[in-house]
Amino acid sequence: MSGTATAPAHGPDRAVERGRLGFLALCVAFAALVALCLATLVAAGDLSFGRNPWDNLRASLAQFAQPSFLDAWFGPERLEYRADDGRLLRVEDPRALEREFLAATARATWVTFQIATLGSLLASLLGLPLAVLAARTLGVPRAVSAAAAGVLRACRSVHTLVFGLILVGVVGLGPTAGILAIALHSMGTCGKLFAESIEALDMASVEAVRATGAPPLQVFFSAVWPAVLPQFVGTHLYVWEFNIRDSTVLGLIGAGGLGLLITEAVSLFQWGRLATLLVVIVALVSVFDALSGAIRRRLQ
Amino acid sequence: MSARDAPAVDLRDVVVTTPSASGRVLVDVPALRIDAGERIGVIGANGAGKSTLLRVLAGTCQPSFGRVRLLGCSVGPQADPAPGAGQRRALRAQIGQVMQGLHLVPRLTARENVVLGALGDPAAMPAWRAWTRLYPRDIRARAGAALDRVGLSDRAEVRADRLSGGERQRVALARLLMQRPRLVLADEPTSALDPTGTEVACGILAGFDAGVAVVTVVHDPALLPRVAERVIGLAGGRIVLDMPVAAVDGAALAALYTVDRERATAPEDRAVPAALHAAAERC
Repeated sequence: MSGTATAPAHGPDRAVERGRLGFLALCVAFAALVALCLATLVAAGDLSFGRNPWDNLRASLAQFAQPSFLDAWFGPERLEYRADDGRLLRVEDPRALEREFLAATARATWVTFQIATLGSLLASLLGLPLAVLAARTLGVPRAVSAAAAGVLRACRSVHTLVFGLILVGVVGLGPTAGILAIALHSMGTCGKLFAESIEALDMASVEAVRATGAPPLQVFFSAVWPAVLPQFVGTHLYVWEFNIRDSTVLGLIGAGGLGLLITEAVSLFQWGRLATLLVVIVALVSVFDALSGAIRRRLQ
Repeated sequence: MSARDAPAVDLRDVVVTTPSASGRVLVDVPALRIDAGERIGVIGANGAGKSTLLRVLAGTCQPSFGRVRLLGCSVGPQADPAPGAGQRRALRAQIGQVMQGLHLVPRLTARENVVLGALGDPAAMPAWRAWTRLYPRDIRARAGAALDRVGLSDRAEVRADRLSGGERQRVALARLLMQRPRLVLADEPTSALDPTGTEVACGILAGFDAGVAVVTVVHDPALLPRVAERVIGLAGGRIVLDMPVAAVDGAALAALYTVDRERATAPEDRAVPAALHAAAERC
């Protein structure tokens, strides 16, 4: 509703007025909802920041400020663990240990990338036929198209992690569960976006090519394909990009990748290593976002 | 398929109604015959049924009743036997259209859009060439010549969605040239063109081979002599004027546009003003 539309000279426009009042009511309702959420949270005593949030924050930040990967080059070369009586218990080389950890991180990063890439590809392959069925402009029977849209919606509404938990129970621990989990959830996203680009296709230009008497295959390759392909590629890149982020946590439930190292670091209170992992994740996601964003812009 | 000398258009008792249950009549033509090689100008007020009539002539609008023969091929609801898909395609290839909205493929370049005009010829190119856009050299050259004719050769490699409205209209005209049709239907082909472009468009429409029938919807009566030998006036979906272009004068035009205004205020009044009768009798 435009707030600056001027009323016609012969009196206020009823529809515009109703629209504005409706928007005001919507704002009031939203404010009431927020107030209700806060009030019930406070009433239940759940709105708490713990006993000493500032100290905790300071301690965590101090540990995070020393990401463990620095030790690979700048750490002590020899670390001795002695018992109280001065007996030498164990000697460690933190540099070598950290290098091993970095190698493990690199392997896990590659697994995460594998999961995201193969999962997204499978999602697109599964989503495309469903999108063709779900698109309402292609003359597919209503019942079929509603069923396909329902399948896509169901896939979209179940989170990747939930699919992952189920699939770890089915196919066992490891990246296969991750790939399938991503494929099943993203199939819903891909299918919906594919169906939308099919529906947004300018049928008039397709008609115009058909009007030249071109055979169906030529019509498809000349009018449908060039309009739809860049959108499909763009959608696929978007979902892939999204899954690179999503697959970093899949290891938390045993589906392989960086998440596995995150659980390890957290359960051993190795905050320095967690900091290293977060740096890797941020770098991976940023680089991939930038790449896929650049490609998607070129496709416009 | 059909004899070369068959009339380009032969309509009998054609009625087109809106698809809704109420079924408002959009076009009601008891008889219309356009011979091969005729140059027709169609005039009429907004909403008089010009575009609908053109869509009937293109075979893209199926009338509710009547007989439609286009280039000797029966396509109307009473067509017996109904034409097959291949027959319809062959017919479409012979009917060149420049419709309102133009409908270029947005992501293809001007040249590629012109090439689309050649696709109706099954021998033009295999499907993989359309897919990869590696068109045969002779077709590319023909498309270049068509673009040159409409004065767009310097914009040949620009995508259609980056072209201005007038440039798109020129591309649509070049696509029409590429198609080499036997029946040309042009719906206000000069609406977005500057005076030079209008000259070019009129030259193209007037310059088709002698056997090609050209039907042009025009709003500017000054253009009628450029594109038409015979003028058909529509009002309220009916043909109320059909005369040689030389006989069209100010009185006839004024009467044509008045009919429609009267119809808009009193739809049941189907009387044709005396001035129109007088004009029709003169020819």
